[in-house]
This record gives sequence, structure tokens and C-alpha cells, in this order.
Amino acid sequence: MLLDGLFAGGTYALMAAGMALILGVVKVINLSHGAFFTLGAYVAYALAERGIETPIAAAPLAAVIAFAFGVFLGKSFVNPVRSHPFALPVGTLACALLFEQAAQMVWGPHPLSIEAGKPWIGPGGLVVRRWGVIAFFSSAALLGGLKWVLSARPGLPLRLIAEDEEIAGSLGMDVETIRYLTFGGACAMAAAAGALLSPSGAVTPTMGRAPLLLSLVVVIVAGMDSVAAIFLLSIGLGIFGNACAWFLSPQWSYVALLSAVCLLLAVRPAGIVALAGRRD
Amino acid sequence: MTVQKGTFHRHPFSLIGSAALFLYLFSLASFTATAVAEAHPDALKIGVLAPLSGPYAAGGTSFVQAATLAVEQANAEGGVFGQRVTIVVGDTQGRVDVAKSEALRLVSREKVSALVGAYLSEETVGVMEVAASQRTVLIVPVAATAEITDKVRRDYARYRSVFRVGYSLPQWADMIAAFLSDRKVRRYAFVGAGIRWNRELGETLERLVVPRGIAPAYTAYYSPGNPAFDTVAVAAAASSPDIVILADPGRNSVSFLKRLREVAPALPALSIGGALGDARLAASIPLSAPVYVQAAAWRGVSPAATSYVDLYEHRFGAAPVGYSDTLPHDAVAVLVAAWRKAGSAATQAVVPVLERGAFEGVAGMYRFDAEHQAHWGTGPGALRGTIVRWEHGGARIVFPPR
Repeated sequence: MLLDGLFAGGTYALMAAGMALILGVVKVINLSHGAFFTLGAYVAYALAERGIETPIAAAPLAAVIAFAFGVFLGKSFVNPVRSHPFALPVGTLACALLFEQAAQMVWGPHPLSIEAGKPWIGPGGLVVRRWGVIAFFSSAALLGGLKWVLSARPGLPLRLIAEDEEIAGSLGMDVETIRYLTFGGACAMAAAAGALLSPSGAVTPTMGRAPLLLSLVVVIVAGMDSVAAIFLLSIGLGIFGNACAWFLSPQWSYVALLSAVCLLLAVRPAGIVALAGRRD
Repeated sequence: MTVQKGTFHRHPFSLIGSAALFLYLFSLASFTATAVAEAHPDALKIGVLAPLSGPYAAGGTSFVQAATLAVEQANAEGGVFGQRVTIVVGDTQGRVDVAKSEALRLVSREKVSALVGAYLSEETVGVMEVAASQRTVLIVPVAATAEITDKVRRDYARYRSVFRVGYSLPQWADMIAAFLSDRKVRRYAFVGAGIRWNRELGETLERLVVPRGIAPAYTAYYSPGNPAFDTVAVAAAASSPDIVILADPGRNSVSFLKRLREVAPALPALSIGGALGDARLAASIPLSAPVYVQAAAWRGVSPAATSYVDLYEHRFGAAPVGYSDTLPHDAVAVLVAAWRKAGSAATQAVVPVLERGAFEGVAGMYRFDAEHQAHWGTGPGALRGTIVRWEHGGARIVFPPR
């Protein structure tokens, strides 16, 4: 149960990383994030159909395509509309639905699937969950990389914009460009996650919806300032959800998980990092 | 900040414009079924109710494709009373309210002579009310809840125009129970989505198999929104069953089976049908243990079934899954045959013919009982369905024993 929680949490963290970046730097709720996850999975499927069945090869291509789409969306829609707080979630949701519809028209409504491969058999016949391990280590690597970028010199503009856009602008930074490039980068992360995890389930136009909701929950509860908090909360929620499924009922895991999140937000609306006294 | 409002504000419109054009071009290709009906205003119309959008769009699309195929076959045989037959499609979106309003639109505005559908049990129960109030024949292909036939039994005068070609839940459970006995299963795990008919199927199956010495080792219903597959797969495997029954015909069955294979590579699984009947999906599942799929019919079961599968594959580019396509096909075939026998498409003429007649379909010979339920199961004269086992290179029929 603990191991499965780690693996499930890794999946949430993969999506939450990009979401946190968008919320922190661009300061918008991007409801099209799940659509980029789906895009990544379809790219992996398209490559698998052409004989390239390893999702590790599909992830970079998916990231490049999603980056291009993300930059386009960020530049043409998010940047000009972001000053209207209600318009943007509605607009990004519309983009997500548009993508789902387009995916249904291009690939059909039927679920698609990429070969999952044989399970890994460890010492003593121990069966290792291949896609769980990949999700966990990918998320650890992605969030570790993000943490490094944000703490190093290349991440300085991102940190500064997240802190105060006007000061960043007055220092000569091209805030608008950095915003849409960040948006594109976050979309690329979601697509890479979708490509990496595509063999673990079915590929469908709406497959990004559940990860979107859970990643949004993780980022809002963890706060977007601490990458470590996002990772740990993802793992915590994964374990909690699995514990509920195991001890109560699988149907209760989602309800219990969201109830716990509501309770946490009611107690500390600013997130758990604030709970630790690091953020107000 | 370096905001250039004049430049950016032009872009949303170009984005929306491109998106609208994109959707329009694709929509031209998507509504050909409706266009068929419009091209022949004097044709006999069958209203087909299926979800073409929303979470059940995959099953709904196969549903409409199979109905289209049946109508094309009917027209190739000369139509009905010299008239062409067409279908008019209503997209139910998987919602009861939409299904009812679409049914009403098809009957009152499109003037269809009969309805075939809907997809979900909940939708179908709603559509029954429209069919009953409009005195229109309704053939139910896939909805399995016992409520449909219960209504016919309790209020025959009102629901006498409703017939079901698909298997009811007790019949479905009976066919699964016969397979479990044949495979000498003693313990099984039952896993499905936490929706009404899955629970009904699980409970009915348990009632049927316990007297045969077969016991449920583990039962779980996951939330379709966040299925917690990992935990369910681990718990199911830990209960040491002889087989896992997947009572979910949708895409989640594929994801669950992949998880199950990761934690228990040697544990056999039986899918009650649907997505795992698709050869492309089955090819992506490790076959380290048997994967069985239940279907109404399959290539090789009979010449009619083989002919249907070949035709479907040729027409739509992929083989049918044997459930959400085969049964709608047979629903249309039965309806057309009843019209021909009755010499009329009028409800009062067709209902007695459906009640007394026998009608050939891909799955076999359809006869309806007093509750207007087609006779599926293991008894004499029943439509028996089939169970196949996926192997490298294709599926092999393993049940009923041949």
C-alpha cells in the first residue's frame, strides 16, 4: 500500500510540477494542463504505431510539440486575457474541451493503448511495478530539476517575476516573453508526463481530466513556492488515497482524499507551507 | 512591464477563428449518418439513440456504425416494402434528460417509425417512457438492467412496444456462471466501476455461483473518476482468486488489466465485454496469463457472425468488439425483419409479430418471452453468446465448448 501510494503520488507530482510553475510565474489557473498530458500520450501512441514503442523516446518529442502549442496559447490567449480573472479559467477550459474534441475527431473516440511490456521481476520473484517506478523517479527527477533551476541563476527571472512583476519589468526583464515561455515550458512538462505514463493505461481524449484535478489540488494545498512541498504532498495524498481504498473501499478513496483537502484548506487556506510558518 | 496590448488583442480572435474553422471542417465528416436520412425524405426511418459525445462516445460510435451497417444490408436486400430504410441519429451524450429529449425529437419531428437504443440503462429507462407515451416500437440493444423487463411485466399495456435483444443482467450472470463452472473456478475476484448495473451484476452472479460451490474472494467497485486501480489490483491479487472478473466494458478495463498484470502476471482475467474485445487494445496487454472476453458473437461462431465481422472490418477499418456493435446491428436487423413480416411499420402491427416471431441476427435466432426479453443463456434454444481467449495473433473461441 505504501509503495503504491508512492507510485500514485509520483503521477500527481508529475502533473503538479508544471501547474505550480504556471500558477507561480504566470499566476493563472490553467485548466488546459490536462489536455497537454493527453497530447503527450497521443504523441507516444503515434510513435508506437510507427514502431517506436519506448515512451522515453516519445517524451522529448511530446515536450517540443507541447512547448510550441503552449507558447502559442500563452502568447495569443493567456497573456492578453490574464488580467481578467474569470475569463482565463473559462478560456483555458474551452481550449481543453477543444483539444478533446479535436483528439476525438483525429484518433476517434475509442480508447487506444500502447504495449505495457512485461513486468519487471526482481530478486526472489518479486514483481516490480514498472510504470509506478517510472512515474516516481520521473517526478523526482523533474521536480528536482525544477528546484535546481529555480534556485540557480537561470531561475532568477522566474523567481523575481513570481515575487513582483513590476520590479522585474523595471529591471529590464521582458516579463511577457518570460511568461509565455514559462507557460510553454509547463505545458511541455505535462506532455512529457503524459508520454511517459501512456503505456500504463488507456489513451483517450479525456484522460487528462483526473490528473488535472489532482494536480490542481496538490498545487493549491501545497502552495506554489516550495517544490519539495509539492512532491511530499503528492506522495502523501497518494498514500492517503490508497490507504482509504484499502481500508474503506476503492470508491471512498477519492471522496476521502478530496474531503481531507477541503479540511486542510479550511484550516489553512494559504496551504501547508504556510502551516509550517514559512509562508503567510 | 512590456505589454503591447494592441498586438496581443488581435490574437484571441484568430485563435477562436482557427478553432471554429477546424471544428467545422471535422464536423462535416461527423454527421454523415444524419445526412443519409435527409437525402431520402420518403424512406422508412429508424431513430438510433446513442452517446456520440461525452465519456461513452466510443461505445456510441460503434453502436451507430453497426446500425448503419444493418441498414445498408437491409437496403441491399431491397429495403422494406420497396422503400429504403435510413437511420436518424440522436446523440444522447450519456445523459438521461438528453436521451429523452432526443427520443421525443426523433419521434415527433423526424417522424421515425421505431427507436433503437439507448446505451446506458438509465438513459434507456428514460427513453422507454417516451416510446410508451408515443406508442413507438423501441428495441433495446445493450442496456442490461432488469428494470426494463420488469416494467414490461408490471405494466404490459403501457410498455408493450418495448423489446430487448441484448442480455439482461440475470442472463449475463448466468452465462458468466456457466463459464466459471466450465473452467473449474472455485474463487473469483469481481471488480468494476461503482455504478448501478455493475453492482447488480456482481450481486446476481454471487447468488448464482454460490450454490455451485464458487465463492467470491474479493469484490470492489472503484470510482470512475479516480479508479484507485493500483490498490484494487493489489487487493484482488492478494485474495488469491482463480480468476478476476472485470465488470467494466469501458476504457478503465484496459487500464485496470495493465495494473493487474504488473502485480499478478499469472492471474487469468475475464472481461465481461466491451473495450477488451478490441484486438488493437488486447495486443497491448501482456498475455502472461489468459485474458478472456465475453461477446454476443465472434468471428467463427457462425457463418452469419463471420460475414458480419468481415463486413464491419471492411467498412470501418477495425473488427467489432462483439457487444456494443453486434447487439445494435441485430436490433436493427430484428426490427427490419419484423416490419417485413408484419407488412407494415405501424406499432400495432409490428408488436404482435415481434412477440410471436423468430428473427435471425448475427448472434443467432431471437425470440422474445412474455417480458419482451430475448432468450439468452444456457438453456435449449437460447442465444448463448461466446467467450474468447486472446492469444498472440488473435482470439480463440473457448466457450461454449464446441
